[in-house]
Amino acid sequence: MAKDTSEAASPDRPSRPLPRRGLERLDLMLLCMEALDLNGGEAMVWMSEQLGYGALFPNRVELWKRRCHNPLRRTCRRGEVPVDETDALIRILCVMADRLYPMLRSLLSSSEPEAVASERWALFQGRLGELVQERMNPRRSGVQKLLDPTDGAAQRLQLVQGLSLCAGHGGFERIKASLMDAVA
Amino acid sequence: MVQSSVMKQSLVFDQLSCRLQVEGLPDVSIGQSGAALGIITGWSLQWVGRPLLEGRREHLQALMQVVLPYARHLISGVRRDFSVAGEPVDIGPHHEGGHRLLLRSSQPDTPPLEMHLDDAELADLVRVLDLLRLDPRVQLPLEIPEPEPLGPRELLERIPLHRRLTAPLGGAAALAVSAALVLLLPPPAVPPAPTPPAPAPQAAPEAPRP
Repeated sequence: MAKDTSEAASPDRPSRPLPRRGLERLDLMLLCMEALDLNGGEAMVWMSEQLGYGALFPNRVELWKRRCHNPLRRTCRRGEVPVDETDALIRILCVMADRLYPMLRSLLSSSEPEAVASERWALFQGRLGELVQERMNPRRSGVQKLLDPTDGAAQRLQLVQGLSLCAGHGGFERIKASLMDAVA
Repeated sequence: MVQSSVMKQSLVFDQLSCRLQVEGLPDVSIGQSGAALGIITGWSLQWVGRPLLEGRREHLQALMQVVLPYARHLISGVRRDFSVAGEPVDIGPHHEGGHRLLLRSSQPDTPPLEMHLDDAELADLVRVLDLLRLDPRVQLPLEIPEPEPLGPRELLERIPLHRRLTAPLGGAAALAVSAALVLLLPPPAVPPAPTPPAPAPQAAPEAPRP
């Protein structure tokens, strides 16, 4: 069992809710997980129960409601998400990224044949595009950029790279710190 | 995986492209025993198709002190060099893409070793280092900076310098060109000032009479 570094290691660090920008990135990363795993939505609910977050997210609707704080969503909810709920979502993300790490790795590896890598990225881009079009507000420039085959490539790569670096227990603090970044 | 001989412990952490093996002993002076590892006597990092890296605890800590913050910054999209003054490890973005890991040997006449890692290999390295630092059997303090949110100034670094300077330099150039054009315009013709009426001729003063 790994050491828990989230609360025990930094008890005096002030916890504040994630900014809107952080909620946006968190939801997009969860969306990437769904694009990589066809049953990602179901897996997220199952993982939430396995990790003991049944009280926070008793059903998939509650989980979906927290994710709807992403300002890019078609049906966006206002207000802040409590720290314990965002922490739970981040932990679900880290565990899912750990589970799908071989897929993330194969997308990032330069030792894969070029044709295979292109095909993998095309498949990922297609699935992510479908999910984004289904759930996000197409009038937002951020959504349009993410859907753009060329302009959105760098952002998609950064999302996948971020997921590979936050996979597992050790990634929790890294990704949380990143989601708390100031607005540039 | 644990291999032990009497007191000696050997922890092995595997990923697809690399294997980290750490050897050490429990620190019996503070009451450690069994599977605990309180003193690191050596470590080795084995890469597929690359030279074997070996070192002491200080080198391992130096590796963690640059690789983990580098990974944390990459998640935020900030790609910059990381090094600790006086330490033998540097990491940063490679000019051909990927990442450059530079290791300086403490042995004289040994040139530094530069390794070019792709994103997957970096992720593997981060995972083995995470596995090591979170392993409950490792019971010695490893000084690694806590991940912190980045400020606006640090986030600006993710935008290349030429793109950051384009807007202000373009604006300054446009202002300079406009000012130059305005200076080149001929000054507007000044209408001739109305000439004042000629003064009436004054009578010559009379000569004083004798």
